[in-house]
Order: sequence, then structure tokens, then C-alpha cells
Amino acid sequence: MSEAVTSAASAAPVLVARDIRKVFGALVALDGAEVSVAKGEIVGLIGPNGSGKSTLLHVISGRTPATGGTVTLGGRDVTRAKPSDRIRAGLSIKFQLARVYLDQTVADNLLLAIQSQAPLVSLMLSRSRAAAASTIDELLEGFHLTHARSQLARELSHGEQQWLEIAMAMALKPTVLLLDEPTAGMSREERLATGERIRAARERCGVLIVEHDLDFIRGLCDRISVLHQGKIIASGTPAQIEADPRVQEVYLTRV
Amino acid sequence: MRLSLRSRFDGRSGGRNLALLVGVLAVAPLVLAVLGLDYYTIVLTQALILGILALSGDLAWGSTGIFTLGQAVFFGIGAYAVGELAKHLGVTDVLAASVIGLGVGAFAGVLVGLFLFVGSRVGELYVGLVTLALAFAAERFATGWDVIGAYNGVPGIPGPTLGPLVLEYGPTTYYTIFALFVLVLYGAYQLNKSQFGLVMRAVRDDGERAEFLGYRRTTVQIVVFSITSALAGMAGGLYALSSGFVSPSFLGVTLSTQVLLWVVLGGRGTLVGPLLGLGLVYVLGGRIAEFQPQLWPVILGLILLGTILYLPGGLIGRRVVPLRKRVAVTTAAAPTGGGDRV
Repeated sequence: MSEAVTSAASAAPVLVARDIRKVFGALVALDGAEVSVAKGEIVGLIGPNGSGKSTLLHVISGRTPATGGTVTLGGRDVTRAKPSDRIRAGLSIKFQLARVYLDQTVADNLLLAIQSQAPLVSLMLSRSRAAAASTIDELLEGFHLTHARSQLARELSHGEQQWLEIAMAMALKPTVLLLDEPTAGMSREERLATGERIRAARERCGVLIVEHDLDFIRGLCDRISVLHQGKIIASGTPAQIEADPRVQEVYLTRV
Repeated sequence: MRLSLRSRFDGRSGGRNLALLVGVLAVAPLVLAVLGLDYYTIVLTQALILGILALSGDLAWGSTGIFTLGQAVFFGIGAYAVGELAKHLGVTDVLAASVIGLGVGAFAGVLVGLFLFVGSRVGELYVGLVTLALAFAAERFATGWDVIGAYNGVPGIPGPTLGPLVLEYGPTTYYTIFALFVLVLYGAYQLNKSQFGLVMRAVRDDGERAEFLGYRRTTVQIVVFSITSALAGMAGGLYALSSGFVSPSFLGVTLSTQVLLWVVLGGRGTLVGPLLGLGLVYVLGGRIAEFQPQLWPVILGLILLGTILYLPGGLIGRRVVPLRKRVAVTTAAAPTGGGDRV
């Protein structure tokens, strides 16, 4: 684990969100929050309810425009870019509630992710799904979904839908993977397996995880940042974070 | 708020139904001739042309979720363009009319599509209201504009030709139109079946999600809107030639909402469903409307209401998977995770 931290720290960051402000009317949701992720690094973002975790994720993904601050992806300023352009710049996101296409098959959900950047004309002309078949097979196998290949996504269990969504996020071959509560509603076994998948993903990209469950990310993350009232109040290794008195003050409640 | 009546049917499953329908339509004039109902061949010819309009409505709303209440605007634009050219310049060739209709429809579709989708994220309801207003305005405008005949439209359009052939009403015209119809139907079917069809359904079912996969939703919507406007324009051009006149109502709200009715009644995104819906409303409805013109709109309304309440997938749409089966599948597929400690 310590080597990973060292190598990650030396690499150039693939995602930097700097001095992010977000104001909803009179409510200041984010007040100069910042976070950065390097290739090969898994960064956790924790904080009590209402601390601004989701808002920060929305600002990074482009769902919500920031009131102030900058977001860069691989050195490119995407603060004002549309979500689709951020995805094309290397970002990928798994939503908190799995948002897979319930009325399409599992394989077609993956296909949608795999081919999202192909020219529309080529999508119109190529009817064969064969070209993507081996990629789909790999993803299905990696996420224990091979049996469900031609099932509709709505027929999957809750945990499997979460996995499908993570698989779709991975299929985009991102440089930055955003995971919003990747283990929400999962059984213990499913959590363990999800942890394995995320660990495997770090070889290719940087990962930012927003989680409630401190136990889950403690063993997984190289660094953890703690968000409180729209500001990062602490950032460091999991051990440092757990020993930090400021963190204990605002974040004693373990889920 | 979603206005969609979601159908789980997609392009891949409808091939057999479509082949069956094409087979029936191929022999229909012969059967009608044997039964001594030759007049209905002409009715059926008009129905085939409106079928192209139905398919365009299904691609837009059924497959892509573009809730357009203005599909007739492009039909009318195609009809006026071809009608005027046929009357004044003698352009009566069905192929030329098709190309002209496609062209003016696509051109108008791109313009309206850019206006509808670029920069606005207001959703289905907005698209519905703007296209509704457009249909209303277009009909009013055509009614008042002398250059295109105002209230009278364009009467006395010469009949259709194909190269040097003058197409007689009856089987000759029917089979010419039938060939064009099958071509459009095949194209629409292949489009639904292609990977782009999958993207269309993704934009329909959750457009924001599609954007977070990297799709440019606006571009997909404008492309589909332009394609369907082109098809509507083609249908309008053919209709002008085969009916011999164009009236401002071709552009209007009534025909536009009929397109939606065909799609809802038959089943969204199924292609064959909207064609059946059209058949029921146009052919059967035409008979009822002759005898009970006041009652017909009421019957139409009741049919629409009944379909929405009791057959949300339309006549052709698949039924919802029974809850019991869903639960069984869910519990059987409980995954077993890796054994390593995290």
C-alpha cells in the first residue's frame, strides 16, 4: 500500500478541482472545496450528511455548474464543459443510485458504454454487435454477470445493477473514475468483491470514491479527504484521518 | 415529469410482424379486386403514404422520445412544395416528388431541430408545446398566404407519373407507392436495429444518463428529428400528387395529433404498431366518420384514453413482466463475491 501512495503522489494529477464554490440562493454548499486525484490513486471523499459531497461530485461531473473555481481533467480546463465533453475528456461516473437502462439487456447496456464515442454514422451502418463482443465478455466475466448477458437489466438484483453500472463506467476506459457510494445497498460479500474491482481499476486510472461507509474505504483508499460545511477540513492517509481530532469532532458517527 | 408511455418493445423483435404486414399489403389489391372493392385500393394507397408519416412519428417519439406535436408541419411543407412544383413546372414524377419532399422536410427539420434542442434542456413537455404552437401557426399562416392559395390551398395538382409512365389510379399507383413504402419501412427497421437505434432508445429512456456515457444528446435528437422530418416531407409530397390537392389542414394540429394517436394506439417504437394504429383509425375510422361525423372525435378520444389506461404498450407492445417472475429471477441470481478481506 505504501508504494502505491508514493508512486501515486509522484504522478501528475488527472483530476484537479480547485477552490470550488457552489451557492444555492442563500445556502453555501461548497466554500472553496478542492480535491485532486492522480493516476493509479484511489482517493476517498467522506463527510457527514449535507457536507457537500454530492454537490462536489456534481460540479466535477458537470451536472451542476460551479459558482466559482476550476475543474481540470488531464490538464484541460473543463469547468464550463458539458457532461458529454467531460466524459470524452476521460471522466466516467457511477451514480449513487444505479442508472442503468432497465429495459435493455445487460449486454446492450455495456455496448452503449463501449461505443459511446463512435461516430453516429458508423453506429447507423454497423448492425453487428460482434466487434464489441469480446470487450463485453471480459466486462461480464470481471463483474460476475456472464449468466445475465441477455437478461434485461431490470431483472438483475440491486447489487448486480450496481456492478453493471460500475462495469459501464469502466467500459469508457476513463482516466478518472468517479464512484458515488459504490456499495450502497450491497451485501457484505458484494462489498468485498466491489472493493476488488475498484482495486483492479486503479491500474488504468485514478479513482475518486464518495462513501458513507468508512470501514469500506479505510482499507481501499490511498488518501482520504474530509468535507465539512463545504470545505475540506482534513486530507491524508486513512490512519492520519482517523487520528485527526478535527475529523473525530465532525465525523464521529460511523455508519 | 415524463409524458412517455414506455414500451419495452424494440426494433429487434418486430421483423416477423413487419414481414407479415408487407405480405398482406402486397396481395391486398388483388383480394380487393376479387371482392369487387376496387375503390379501397385508392384508400389503401393514401394509407400507405400516411404510413410513411406514421413511421416518422414512431421514430421520433416511439424510439427517441421526441414528443413532437408538429409532425404534420413537415408533411405539409413537403405537400406544398411538391404541389406547387407539379402544378407550375409539371414535376409529377413520384421519385422526384419523394426527393423534393425529403429535401424540404430535412431542411425544415434541421432548422426546427436546432431551435428545439440546442441550448434548451427543458425536456419533452417543452418540445411538445413548441411543436404544437408551430403546427397551429403553420396552418394559420398557410390559410392567410395568397401565394400558396390561402384558404383554398393548391387544387388541381396533376396526377403522379413515373418516368414516362402516367400512373393510373388503382393498382399501378398502389404498387409504385407500395415499393417506396417498403423502402422506407426497411430503412426505419434497420435504423432501429442498428447500434444507433440502441442510442435512440437510450436517449428516450434516460437522456441525461446517455450524456454521462459520452453521447451528445442534442446531436442525436437533431439527427433523428431531421430524418423523421424528411420522411414526413416525403409522405406529404406523395400525398399531394396522389390526392391532387393540398390544403392548409395538411400542416395542422389535427393531423399532427393523429400521428401521435396512431403511435400510442399501435405501440411506441414498434413500427408495425403505429401502422396498425393508422389502419384502424384511417380505414375503419373513415367509414364511421362518413356516417357519424360528430361522434367520431369522441370515439377517437375514448380509444386514446382506453389505450393509455389499459394498454400502455399499445396493441403490439409487450406486456409488463409479472412481478412473481421478476422476484424469482432476482433471488436466483444473488451473486457470490470474492473471498479476500478488504
